[in-house]
Amino acid sequence: MTYKTTSSLTLSILLLGSGSALAQTELMLWHMEQPPHRVERVQELLDAFNAAHPDIVVTQEPQNWGEIYAKAPAALAAGNGPDLLFAIPDFAPILKEIGAVQDVGAFVGALDAKHDLLDSAVASYSYDNGVWAVPLYNMAMSLWYHKGAFEAAGLAVPKTWSEWQAATEKLTADGKYGIGLPASKGLYTDQVVYNFMVNNGASELYNADGTFAFDNPKTAESYAMAAALQKFSPPDSAGWFWGDAEACFASGTCASILQFTTITTYETQGGGDAAKLGVAPIPHADGESQHNTIAYANAVMLLSDDPAKRAAFETFISWLLEPANYGRFLNMEPGLFLPVTADGAKADSFWNDPLVQKYKPQIETMIANSANGMLFGFTNGRTFPSIAPISGQNVLSEVLQAVVIDGVDPAAAVAAGQVRMQDIAQ
Amino acid sequence: MKQSLPLRLLLAVTILFFLLLIGLPFWWVISGSFKLPQEIIAREPTLVPQSFTLQHYAKLLDASAYPTYLVNSLIVGLASSVLTVLLAVPAAYAFFRMELPFREGMYRAILLAYAFPGVIVLIPIYGLFAQLGLVDNLLALIIVNTTFALPFSIWMMRSFLATIPRDLEEAARMDGAPTPVILRRILVPLILPGVAAVGVFAFISSWTEYLFASVLILSDDKRTVPVGFAGIIGQYQIDWGLLLAGASLAILPVVIIFSLVGRAFVSGLTDGAVK
Amino acid sequence: MERGFPKPRTKEAADPGVGGQGLRRRRLSERKLALLFVTPALGLLALTLLWPLVLAVDLSLRDVRFIGKPGEFVGLANYTDVLGEARFWQSGLRSLIWVAGNAVVQTALALAAALVLHQSFPGVRIARVWVLLTWIVPTVVVVIIWRWLLSNSGGMINPLLVQAGLLEAPVGFFSSRESAMTTLVLINSWRWFPFVTLMILAALTRIPGDLDEAARMDGAGAWQRFRRITWPLLQPTLSVLLVVGTLLSFNVFDIIWLTTAGGPSGGTQTLPVLIYETAFKGYELSRAAAISVLTGLALMGFAIAASRSMTREEGA
Repeated sequence: MTYKTTSSLTLSILLLGSGSALAQTELMLWHMEQPPHRVERVQELLDAFNAAHPDIVVTQEPQNWGEIYAKAPAALAAGNGPDLLFAIPDFAPILKEIGAVQDVGAFVGALDAKHDLLDSAVASYSYDNGVWAVPLYNMAMSLWYHKGAFEAAGLAVPKTWSEWQAATEKLTADGKYGIGLPASKGLYTDQVVYNFMVNNGASELYNADGTFAFDNPKTAESYAMAAALQKFSPPDSAGWFWGDAEACFASGTCASILQFTTITTYETQGGGDAAKLGVAPIPHADGESQHNTIAYANAVMLLSDDPAKRAAFETFISWLLEPANYGRFLNMEPGLFLPVTADGAKADSFWNDPLVQKYKPQIETMIANSANGMLFGFTNGRTFPSIAPISGQNVLSEVLQAVVIDGVDPAAAVAAGQVRMQDIAQ
Repeated sequence: MKQSLPLRLLLAVTILFFLLLIGLPFWWVISGSFKLPQEIIAREPTLVPQSFTLQHYAKLLDASAYPTYLVNSLIVGLASSVLTVLLAVPAAYAFFRMELPFREGMYRAILLAYAFPGVIVLIPIYGLFAQLGLVDNLLALIIVNTTFALPFSIWMMRSFLATIPRDLEEAARMDGAPTPVILRRILVPLILPGVAAVGVFAFISSWTEYLFASVLILSDDKRTVPVGFAGIIGQYQIDWGLLLAGASLAILPVVIIFSLVGRAFVSGLTDGAVK
Repeated sequence: MERGFPKPRTKEAADPGVGGQGLRRRRLSERKLALLFVTPALGLLALTLLWPLVLAVDLSLRDVRFIGKPGEFVGLANYTDVLGEARFWQSGLRSLIWVAGNAVVQTALALAAALVLHQSFPGVRIARVWVLLTWIVPTVVVVIIWRWLLSNSGGMINPLLVQAGLLEAPVGFFSSRESAMTTLVLINSWRWFPFVTLMILAALTRIPGDLDEAARMDGAGAWQRFRRITWPLLQPTLSVLLVVGTLLSFNVFDIIWLTTAGGPSGGTQTLPVLIYETAFKGYELSRAAAISVLTGLALMGFAIAASRSMTREEGA
């Protein structure tokens, strides 16, 4: 409710000020950070920005991830869409195809010179001779574990797949599960599966020419490993979304999970003993040497071709990325959103949040892990329009379900998955 | 009425079954909303709460615009309900008793409205309402909910009209009363329970509608309860306590309304037939 | 003859005139009035249902991937594509299972509940109202409630079934195709059976009590009375409910989508789920429109055939 009152306050200031000769540029921002505390934090920042910039008014309308894929294109087509949208790379190709999203390459270049943007984050939006969004906040998966459970079993944190397999088996006993891995149809499972792929040298969905590179032995191995570990997950994990995994972890039923963060849930529902919460890079295949992970560089897209709005957008985003403001923005969900700028990673405004302070070692590990982040379909500039429907229809998790639920051989399932991708693409 | 012992036993067992089937989930949800977070996700769930807290409700009411959602849902529900009754009563009467070209054909065609998946009219309706300037307007939801409730309401209304003895109408007609007067003065009072039933049906349909409300409304202060509730689920984390509190508060208003009009609704549907 | 739901009145019954001079004029104004009565309702339906459906048919004949991009006319290409696709037929089959499952479970639950509520016992009037409790809960809330209750983290159902000795160890209700479908049918039926209960209860109260009493005098047992009197007299109501219920439950989308999104491994992907996914996740609006039109035509065919056979039965 708080942000409601402040926003109507802004409105009344706006109405009072409308008598003056000031030409105001209005920016409508949509985002999917809908939990109430995030909305509230964004509103605080908008109020501060609007107060400091009388010629610009930024307003927010939080939306739901569930409907945004239907709603945003419909709203843009009907002319009542937003000017700015916080979204993930998957969204850009769609908006690009309806001609809504603007190239912000020059602006990103300037920001990079000033703040040093994370390369992998910019890479997710760089293709087709343009940069289609300004990265704002990063999310990367890590292996979260209960230190107590590992110590009790006399286990060190696994670094390779064979260690991982052995540890998971040993931890599964007495109604507890070594790892909580989803095998549902959904984005969470897509993400978890991709963690196995990037840690086995199978990060590419596409070849450089746009043909598919998915069907290869490395991918099949990755699926085999994911399915092998999935056996040590709770029986309901075939229907899991993110929150279910967190609940399993927080309750102690799962000794470990792959997640972007567990900090808030662990703090409020899992006891909150920071010393006992472990986080580590995701183990890699035995032949590999580097820990990789899936990362979502959330970014802001500019959806208006009005030059005045572009100027206002640049003013707003430059302001937001200033270290003094940026940390407050990231901490709309402390312990989840990671900085994409080098000076942001050092900013006091980021580190002085009480929760961030309490879990500082964990967050430092998360930031370190995020440096090797990749996103399926947005790697090496090999991004093609078919990634949107492939990701939207969760083909990666369909393949895992074929292996886990239907018992199909991983190699055959991966081959079938590539055929499905080709069907979607044609 | 006397019943044999085995029959009474069967009756008791069936009542108990339904009591548990309907009651238990609600008990779990409502009692869960007062539990501490740790207890909600505990590995050994508790039937009787071991802890008590109001923190979930405090968080819900403090941080989200839940009261606004409730008001919006009530506005949309009541308006849809009134509009449905206003449209359904005359239409049902015309289909029931009046001379109308293609009467039977049209009457049957109306029910075919339910033959099409609602999903498919979503995008065309969005385009239509955008042209009419109704996107992000509660009126859009009122129109959509009325549309979906209308065919069934007309059908229900017609069956209520069928229970009115024809002589009553004939007598009035002999006295020279015009049709609208007959409808308003004689029939409507008689089918009042039916009118209530249709109204409640439309209200509940509207109260529970999610898909259209989620797409046609853009701004937070116009959201209805189901959409607002979906909003607090969150993408990456689930705060079960918050959700259980939200679920309880989403149920509470209809329970209150239902305790007021529920009896009228039920007897409207059942007693109406007893002539 | 007028029991249960209204049957079409015969022409002469509908005739308002009583003969004489004013007949023609009266008929004319009556007709105008009738049109006046139906026009608002029909107008609304035409605007918000019929017209969007026309647009959907138009969409199905074009090549539109997502809204905002114009598409070229491609004739029936989308239809031939869809009809040649295994996913379409599999989803159709699952929709049939879904409808049949819901019909059986809901009818059974509702019939039992209605028969109970038709008896007299202390608190029956209150029970008749509150049996509807599950029907007034928004679908999204229903989904969250059951996802939580069925989960392995804090869910009550697994421990309950284990304690009762029905399960050896906790299970995942959405972890196999069959159990996911069964569970969803049960959840949807939990949500909808009260409404069916009330409809059946309404029909039960319309059965004249003296019939039952006469049979009792003749020494018929409870089961026989049910078989010989109640059941046959319920038939018209049940048939109507079956048709409307089939259409309504066929098109149930949100419960399935929000619970399993059509998984696991396509096990709960019914036609409405396929339509939504094709349109908004696969970005193939036109193809989704084609699936919808095909689905709608099939359902219309079913509804017309069913209501024909019902009228024939009644006429016999």
